[in-house]
Amino acid sequence: MTKATTLDVPVGGRADPARMMEGRERRFAAALLAPAFIALMATTTFPLLHLGWTSLHRMDLAMPFMDGFVGLDNYRELLGDPRFWSALGVSLVYTFSTVILQVVLGLALALLVNGMKRGQALFRIVAILPVVLSPAVVGMVWRTFMLTPEFGVVDYLSMTAGLGSHNWLGDPSLALFSVVVIHTWQWTPFAFMVLLASLAALPEDIYEAARIDRASPWLCFVRITLPLLRPAIVMVIIMRTMVALTAFAAIFTVTGGGPGTATEILNLYAYRKSFTELSIGYGSALAVALLIFTLVITGVLFALRRAK
Amino acid sequence: MKGHKLRLALLLSVSGLFLLAWIFPIFWSLLNAFKSEQDVLAYPPKLIFSPTLAAFRDVLFGPTSIVPNLVSSFIISIGTTIVTMVLAIPAAYALARLRVPGKKWSGFYVLATQMLPPVGIIIPYFLILRDIGWIDTYQGIILIYLSFSLPFAIWLLVSYFEDLPFEMEEAAFIDGASRLMTLWRIILPQVRGGVAVTVVFVFLNAWNEFLFAVVLSGNVVRPVTISMFNFVSVEQTLWSKLAAVSALAMLPVIILGIIAQKHIVKGLTVGAVKGGGRR
Amino acid sequence: MTARGLVQLEKIVKKHGSFEALKGIDIEIRPGEFFALLGPSGSGKSTTLRILAGLDAPTSGRILLDGKDVTGADARARDIAMVFQSYALYPHMTVAENIAFPLEMAKTPKAEIAPAVREAAAKVKIDHLLDRKPGQLSGGQQQRCALARAIVRKARLFLLDEPLSNLDAMLRLATRVELKKLQRSLGVTAVYVTHDQEEAMTLADRMAVFREGEICQIGRPADVFAAPNCIEVAAFIGSPPMNLLTTRSTAGGVLIGGRHVPVAASLEAGRAVVVGVRPSAVRFDPAGIPVTVEVVENLGDAAILDLTLDGTPLRARYDRFPLPREGETMAVSFAPEDIHLFDPTTGRRI
Ligand SMILES: Nc1ncnc2c1ncn2[C@@H]1O[C@H](COP(=O)(O)OP(=O)(O)OP(=O)(O)O)[C@@H](O)[C@H]1O
Ligand SMILES: [Mg+2]
Repeated sequence: MTKATTLDVPVGGRADPARMMEGRERRFAAALLAPAFIALMATTTFPLLHLGWTSLHRMDLAMPFMDGFVGLDNYRELLGDPRFWSALGVSLVYTFSTVILQVVLGLALALLVNGMKRGQALFRIVAILPVVLSPAVVGMVWRTFMLTPEFGVVDYLSMTAGLGSHNWLGDPSLALFSVVVIHTWQWTPFAFMVLLASLAALPEDIYEAARIDRASPWLCFVRITLPLLRPAIVMVIIMRTMVALTAFAAIFTVTGGGPGTATEILNLYAYRKSFTELSIGYGSALAVALLIFTLVITGVLFALRRAK
Repeated sequence: MKGHKLRLALLLSVSGLFLLAWIFPIFWSLLNAFKSEQDVLAYPPKLIFSPTLAAFRDVLFGPTSIVPNLVSSFIISIGTTIVTMVLAIPAAYALARLRVPGKKWSGFYVLATQMLPPVGIIIPYFLILRDIGWIDTYQGIILIYLSFSLPFAIWLLVSYFEDLPFEMEEAAFIDGASRLMTLWRIILPQVRGGVAVTVVFVFLNAWNEFLFAVVLSGNVVRPVTISMFNFVSVEQTLWSKLAAVSALAMLPVIILGIIAQKHIVKGLTVGAVKGGGRR
Repeated sequence: MTARGLVQLEKIVKKHGSFEALKGIDIEIRPGEFFALLGPSGSGKSTTLRILAGLDAPTSGRILLDGKDVTGADARARDIAMVFQSYALYPHMTVAENIAFPLEMAKTPKAEIAPAVREAAAKVKIDHLLDRKPGQLSGGQQQRCALARAIVRKARLFLLDEPLSNLDAMLRLATRVELKKLQRSLGVTAVYVTHDQEEAMTLADRMAVFREGEICQIGRPADVFAAPNCIEVAAFIGSPPMNLLTTRSTAGGVLIGGRHVPVAASLEAGRAVVVGVRPSAVRFDPAGIPVTVEVVENLGDAAILDLTLDGTPLRARYDRFPLPREGETMAVSFAPEDIHLFDPTTGRRI
């Protein structure tokens, strides 16, 4: 079906030379593609099938004698599992709050910096730093040097400001807020850099025309900048959503999902179930649920992108 | 006029605040690495102190040296980079330049593999590697790192290959070069820049990966991101050493990030789905 | 048969989806010939050349080189050299390395490469630039480098796709002459794509005129000019192009401006015909048909006059001075041997 659009298929003739020529090209292409595709199959597709199969089993590393095929039991259990629903809720809150914060802050800062005549280079360099760091290291730095009560800088600032010392990561009502802040801190520069690049690429003369038409700066922003930036914003939202949904390292390092399950996103729950509680079958079902959840959200976002 | 100046001052301070917010945590942890343990613990936090390299000396040459962990991180990252590039360059060339049957589907497949949640890959992978005895081995961890590095590298390279004019290649065919020779002598030398950028990002992503490393590490494979936890325990945190380890873990990626700064937006947005394997 | 470079294209069809870029063309090019493919943009010239080179495969039809069927052979198996419109120099190699590349690929012994490169470079006068990269060359020098790379291997066939179109007008004229000399001295068969009829006329031994994927006419430039075999060729060849007037025939002639004008061909009276007269063949004759001068385009040694003859426009070349003034009335006549007749429905020459 793709053939008709990308290739011109020779009509008639069985062993015709034109077809031989294209055949040689295809064989060469296939030989170049094969190793990478085999590797991709082996490291993504095959594990995925394996995961689906495992999720239909009871598999408990602590109690291997109980292992066996259980059909959809894991999924049935999952639907009645309050911890699953709580993890789903935490995932939603975590994803939406971090993505919205990143886009809003990133866009605001990009607009600010784009208007600067000097000093843009400084922002560009600084923005690189958080983005290239390992989320695990970032999490560790925040957990220790920033948020430790009566030691970390954030706690010090809070006390200086008269807000008092808090157990930023140990208090269930604050922990989720803290991990959202950490994620936002690390990834807002990403939104900032992408949006700044798109802003810089906007044609200058449109604004001149608008200025001649005496449009106010706010009107310029709403009627010109925003629509032109829309594709970039949507792309940032999609990319950041997918990463936030599967975030792991920072939360694992900072709270480990705790206190209790206060910061346990679905991804972390699947990990803990499989590798801490060693209940691999049920963990697999959780991972499948996460995959479905990701696909649904991505599907919605892509549909929104197409629908304008 | 006065309002104008006021606005400028406001804008400057807001943007300055953002700059500070981003630099400070990194700067602060670096600073602590040069403090003595007492200076770290001082409260309120100390900005002025007499710097010492004691923490670095301890974590590099002391009894709990992290040098083996740094070496481990380098082996993983370099190994992943080499294997990824060897597989990705030919595939990207084919996708970008050749008439491939089902090209659209191949491209879609490469993209789709990036959407899988890593936890969904590591569970079966753990079981498989356990069965063949590859847990805590470099081949095991490098293999699974391909799951995120390969699609990423293929897409980034495709964008560079696509920029070259087709006539260059056709001229080489007519000059008598085989397809492989053309790729090697004509195409690759011209995408050296793109290959270098890809290498940087693949290395970076491998260096920063955490989830797979947590599950698959052990006594042999123990990257620095994992060994960092040795310095924080329930009983006691070794503050200045932890700061030194963080600094050492940050250093390579910050250097690479600054080297590749012009390409970072492209590297982050390639494939328009997401930017590699860091979670 | 000793000479190399016989090219035969048989019923070549090229389809892109349902669009037919080539609708079954036949060409035979003799060894040592300078053959031009001429036609307007999009008429299929480059497509033909690419199929000949082996860069694209024809949908159907056969390609024979020196009598051997090479239709399914790869470009590198055909022993062909080509100069691209964009030159396609390898930017990461020096001029010398560029020129040496075809020899390397042909596994020429190392010792022979350097002298061969120098010889080829000297032929196109760039032997002082051998150490430069293509980015450090001017457009004309790049073009010569591409030529040197093409001639160094002494291939049996030399393909050029609008090689002069990126040069400025002066350089184009100079290079044109040199190209012709080079081809003569090498004695190699050359196929040359151009949409510039003047280039084709001056360079080619023979040429094929393309139109919408078909060949209208193949022949020596002078023959095609003297006797275009259809309206399209008549309108395309010659500058300014031939005047084409739709009219009717009379006994032994045609009606122009209401007058009977005798023609050489025998025609039945009263049929619709298209009369073609080249601007240079319009004769100024006080006893002729009256015309009005609308515009005078002075070329220096001659002028192109835009006239109206009985309400229809007519262009004529005029080389007597002083030139007529605009608005003036003159009279023209046509010699029977200068009149080309075409069938308005088929477009063919009568
Ligand atoms: N890959 C393709 N897919 C679809 N149509 C094509 C393709 N390549 C060429 N064509 C069409 O085939 C026709 C002939 O193209 P070709 O390049 O041979 O023209 P040309 O005579 O060289 O014109 P020019 O003087 O502009 O170079 C054109 O109408 C072009 O649009
Ligand atoms: Mg062309």
